[in-house]
Amino acid sequence: MTSLLTPTPTRGVATSGSPRRGARAWPYLTPVLALLLVWVYGPALFTGVLSFLEWNLTGAPGGFVGLDNYARLFREPEFGQAAGQTLLYAAALLPFSTIIPMFLAIMLWQRPGRASTVYRSLLFLPVMVAPVAVAVSWRFILNPLQGLANETIALVGLPPMNWLGDPASALIVIVIVTSAKVTAFNMLLYSAALSTLDRRTLEAARLERASAWETTRFVVIPQLNRTTVLLGLLSIVLAGQWVFTNVSVLTQGGPDGVTDNVYYRIYTLGFEFFETGMASAAAAIVLLFFGIASLGWVFLRRSRARG
Amino acid sequence: MPGAERALRRQTAGVAWHLVLSVVTLAMIAPVLWGILTSFKPANEIYSLSPFSAHPTLEHYAHAISEWPVAQLIGNTFVMAAGVAIGQLLIAVLGAFALAYFAPSARGLILTLLTISLAIPPQALIIPQFLLTAKLGWLNSDLGLIVPQLGASALAVLLLLQHVDALPPSLLNAARLDGARPLEVLWSIVLPALRPAIAAVTILVFITTWNDYLWPLLVAPRQIDTTVQIGLRQFETAEGTNFGGLLAAATLTSLPILVVYLVASRRITDAFLQSGIK
Repeated sequence: MTSLLTPTPTRGVATSGSPRRGARAWPYLTPVLALLLVWVYGPALFTGVLSFLEWNLTGAPGGFVGLDNYARLFREPEFGQAAGQTLLYAAALLPFSTIIPMFLAIMLWQRPGRASTVYRSLLFLPVMVAPVAVAVSWRFILNPLQGLANETIALVGLPPMNWLGDPASALIVIVIVTSAKVTAFNMLLYSAALSTLDRRTLEAARLERASAWETTRFVVIPQLNRTTVLLGLLSIVLAGQWVFTNVSVLTQGGPDGVTDNVYYRIYTLGFEFFETGMASAAAAIVLLFFGIASLGWVFLRRSRARG
Repeated sequence: MPGAERALRRQTAGVAWHLVLSVVTLAMIAPVLWGILTSFKPANEIYSLSPFSAHPTLEHYAHAISEWPVAQLIGNTFVMAAGVAIGQLLIAVLGAFALAYFAPSARGLILTLLTISLAIPPQALIIPQFLLTAKLGWLNSDLGLIVPQLGASALAVLLLLQHVDALPPSLLNAARLDGARPLEVLWSIVLPALRPAIAAVTILVFITTWNDYLWPLLVAPRQIDTTVQIGLRQFETAEGTNFGGLLAAATLTSLPILVVYLVASRRITDAFLQSGIK
């Protein structure tokens, strides 16, 4: 995983990299590069262009309006709120992408065998099932009239809740619905990290008669720190994207915008309100953020590789 | 007797271990499980708190199959997922081979472009991508569902490149000295060595594309041209949601992936593991 994020810029198997040889690579590289330019980098640049145009998707493109779309975007309260909720999602999903999958993975790793294989396969199921199928099951369970959730809390005497319609609960519900997939996936990544633990440190802990908890706390978890930092960073950056399908199926950003985030706001502006210019301005801000972040990542790697 | 005490403690720990893991597992799969169980309940018992009905029924399945174009939608989804998986694989194999075998001087730059493209949020590109797809006349078509998603091949290229780079240089150099042409090297040496990696990438792309939501929602909203994930919206009508039909249809559309997972769960988790993120 780390190696994928940090590919080696040096050459691979070829030993002699004469220019003539290199030139013969282009026919093979054309499909991947052409598609990358037409469908990723081209649209990224074009988003910037669109953000300066006055354009309603239902009509013809209008003229250049400078920063007008940006000004309107910041004037309406929704975008600022969506940005704030994006951060809230990042914070709320963090335990589900780090500490919870870490402990699940450690538990499975401590007792290898048939049972742990079965648990691991079942725990991974949320990654396999279509997010829409998961979301519609949840909507049935959370149905305010006779849904399982309200029937269950009624057993302990609590009044029925409008889970998805109440600003107090809607965001928590979206986080919980999303958490299963995140936890399942990261548990797998922690399991992989555990399989590469330094055996000698474990043997030393055993000889010292360390308890299971002491071994976990002082030998195992420290060796998982790299994984935890990486998964935590990824979670903070990607949380808003992970919840997109659930927001779309369950709440459409409501009630009162509490489940909205910048990604869903781009979709709403562009495809519900047909505000091409404003949607592009919102998208351009997101792209700029990610552009700066990934350039920073690349330079950080370069400088670290050098010195 | 310390031995008996230790055995007792080990047993208690074992029970606690099973307890925690089974509760967590159940909590994670319970919503889907409840949806599946509900799809077999007759309409008048659909909100019953008992997981199993005394009168299990297939009426919702009959409804979903007769009132909903299930075969058509599963067919559309299959064409999209297979098209994207095979398309990405073809261009990724060619790209990864070229980057490793010819070592073009732009290798570093291309790798940077591919890596950064992984970090670009797909939701931030939907407006120009949609406009281009519409301009090409590809809305509500298989082409519109497949081709734009081939731009996101970076993950496939980088995964395969790791494997091509890991091949022993002597293997490729020997073939080169024997006068083998690049395509021959690719076909008879690289492809056989990459077979497990290719299988992993295909599985990974197929499943993520099958479960994809946003892109088909944008470019194929029409009932008959869309994929299963979007088609499920048709159970929501002005009179409310037909939950029986919806849950039966959701079960039917998840079935292909679940069957594949049951047969090859180890392979699939390995494939996802290689992808790292996503």
